[in-house]
Amino acid sequence: MSKIPRSFRLLEELENGEKGLGPESCSYGLADADDNTMTNWNGTILGPPHSNHENRIYSLAIECGPEYPDQPPKVKFISKVNLPCVDQNTGDVIVKDFHTLSGWKRSYSMQTVLLDLRKEMATPSNKKLPQPKEGSTF
Amino acid sequence: MASLPKRIIKETERLVTDPVPGITAEPHDDNLRYFKVTIEGPAGSPYENGLFNLELYLPDDYPMEAPKVRFLTKIYHPNIDRLGRICLDILKTNWSPALQIRTVLLSVQALLASPNPNDPLANDVAEDWIKNEQGAKAKAKEWTALYAKK
Repeated sequence: MSKIPRSFRLLEELENGEKGLGPESCSYGLADADDNTMTNWNGTILGPPHSNHENRIYSLAIECGPEYPDQPPKVKFISKVNLPCVDQNTGDVIVKDFHTLSGWKRSYSMQTVLLDLRKEMATPSNKKLPQPKEGSTF
Repeated sequence: MASLPKRIIKETERLVTDPVPGITAEPHDDNLRYFKVTIEGPAGSPYENGLFNLELYLPDDYPMEAPKVRFLTKIYHPNIDRLGRICLDILKTNWSPALQIRTVLLSVQALLASPNPNDPLANDVAEDWIKNEQGAKAKAKEWTALYAKK
């Protein structure tokens, strides 16, 4: 397998996101449609059912730096959420506490990150964690 | 990295030994499927005297799959959007393995010479182009001087 360069990889992800090819439980798009470096992205996660997150929509900011996808993106919750892998002061997803970022692989994408965060919300130990008021932000 | 198919090696060599006038294409040392490209704006077009930077990538399935090409230099053109994506049939549905990197780049250069506002990618630019062609061309010229200076 050859290595697809950052920009073409991000264009692929953008197209998948725009077409809504992924699952309905998450979405993402460019934060600034004019930014041809494609660095800043918005993401959303629909809270998983049978958990305290059910029917909530969480907004996130994703930053794909110049080394993406060799290096993981920086991920931050805008909406307040109580999860062990999320810094409760800033909303930053803590790399060492979130396996998808700490064990990052080049084949992962922003969709992988969002779906895996959603899985985190639904684990037996996390799904009943008390959650902040809906609509509050970091 | 997997070894590079003969076809890609040959095409790369020919791009260097027998370059297309007004076009350069050079692979990155660390990724021989990824090219730095420059295209000179065609004479008589609003892009004249501009030098445009592009990037080109040959996917794993090349030549069964078309190369991926994108403008890095900002350009005001109805078939090129704000992210530099190009609307060109041979890059999509009309791709044929008989085409090459050089034919693709020549087609991109030809697209600069004859924009096609009836098959737009950048809708706002295309609208401008249809309503007020002189004004749109003046803006394209202005952007060329601003962003594509040699």
